Amino acid sequence: MDFDAAETKVQIRLTTRDPGLQISEEPNILLVQTSLTRHKLSTLVNELLHREENRIPFDILINGQFLRTSVDEFLTKNGINAETTLDVEYTRALVPPLNVTSF
Amino acid sequence: EAQLSLTHLDPSTIDPTSARALWLAHEASTHSLSQQLTEHLRLILAPTLATKLRGDFRTGKRLNLKRIIPYIASGYKRDKIWLRRSMPSKRSYQVMIALDNSGSMADSGASNLALKTLTLVTRSLSMLEVGQVSVVGFGDDVNVAHDFDKPFTSEAGVRVFEQFGFDAQKTNVRGLVDRSLQLFQEARQSGGGGGGQGEDLWQLMLIVSDGLCDDHQSIQRLVRKAQEERVMIVFIIIDATATAAAAAAAAPTTPAENTKTSILDLQSAVFTPEGNILRYKYMERFPFRYYLVVRDVRELPGVLAGALRQWFGEVAGSV
Ligand SMILES: [Mg+2]
Repeated sequence: MDFDAAETKVQIRLTTRDPGLQISEEPNILLVQTSLTRHKLSTLVNELLHREENRIPFDILINGQFLRTSVDEFLTKNGINAETTLDVEYTRALVPPLNVTSF
Repeated sequence: EAQLSLTHLDPSTIDPTSARALWLAHEASTHSLSQQLTEHLRLILAPTLATKLRGDFRTGKRLNLKRIIPYIASGYKRDKIWLRRSMPSKRSYQVMIALDNSGSMADSGASNLALKTLTLVTRSLSMLEVGQVSVVGFGDDVNVAHDFDKPFTSEAGVRVFEQFGFDAQKTNVRGLVDRSLQLFQEARQSGGGGGGQGEDLWQLMLIVSDGLCDDHQSIQRLVRKAQEERVMIVFIIIDATATAAAAAAAAPTTPAENTKTSILDLQSAVFTPEGNILRYKYMERFPFRYYLVVRDVRELPGVLAGALRQWFGEVAGSV
């Protein structure tokens, strides 16, 4: 069982502003690895929403800032440590316009 | 009871005046609980009255079968072949209380209940006079806040409080168990507990923490090592959710405070190296065998006594 390696873990409190994408399971606090990136957190939210078949790509905001690195790097950069529970908001990823010059 | 907030104080420690006020407040509010715990412990920790048969004597109560063949082989010269019932020997204890000094303790509101627990347990052990008490703080590393070789007076309690600020950036429980086994070894060698011989010296560690820690597998290995070295570890999990809920009912709170989760309900979600998500209840893989969850300090005398009684039933009865 090497999935429980010596990795740092942190508690996250998952929320969304989208009423149609609320996680029904209680409680909404999870303990996750700090090595996770936006992609993995998006995968996790999809699993919690039981959307494995029809995934929605999510953007992730931690304490109001978009996550572009691993959680670990985010914490270091923002001078936070894994002892605090993080507010993690998920929101439908904005798909960049495919052809901006065609107008 | 004094509602002393730690938030406005020096970030790394409690200032001496507040430490004293806080210690005295906790000492007063847990006084009768301490006496209750002392009574429980007196019954549990005292040497058992039913003593063992020991060899080797020229006369006695029962034959020591292991001595019979050497007895015959020696031409009936080695005649110390009898067992006698010996008197119970005095047992002494070294009890270490390890208090979690990490930031999550302040974040979850567990810090105050933890300090109260520390007060209750140390007062109770001092009243019991069964041996030595030490206190360590842990977070990134381990800080010995009170040594085994000093008596644990009220003044010592104040000194200990001064060393806690609940702001360590990590919760290194693996490092704690590792270091404390060293400390126990050193304490045993220095002939502690007043017993002198060390033969009837019992070593007990009480970890007081919110229970959140990483690296469960390494911890499990160290817990086994502790068992081999006859160091008993009881993990006291401070679950402050009940207190938080009560506070929420009493006063309007922010949404963040309403969503406090008990560690018993906490879910882990872990990505395996293959990329699968494993979800399980955090406590299902908690690495300590003897643990108790405390939501209210009034529960402590009963549940702590229960855990120790269980341990004595399993371990002490068999040696
Ligand atoms: Mg912690």
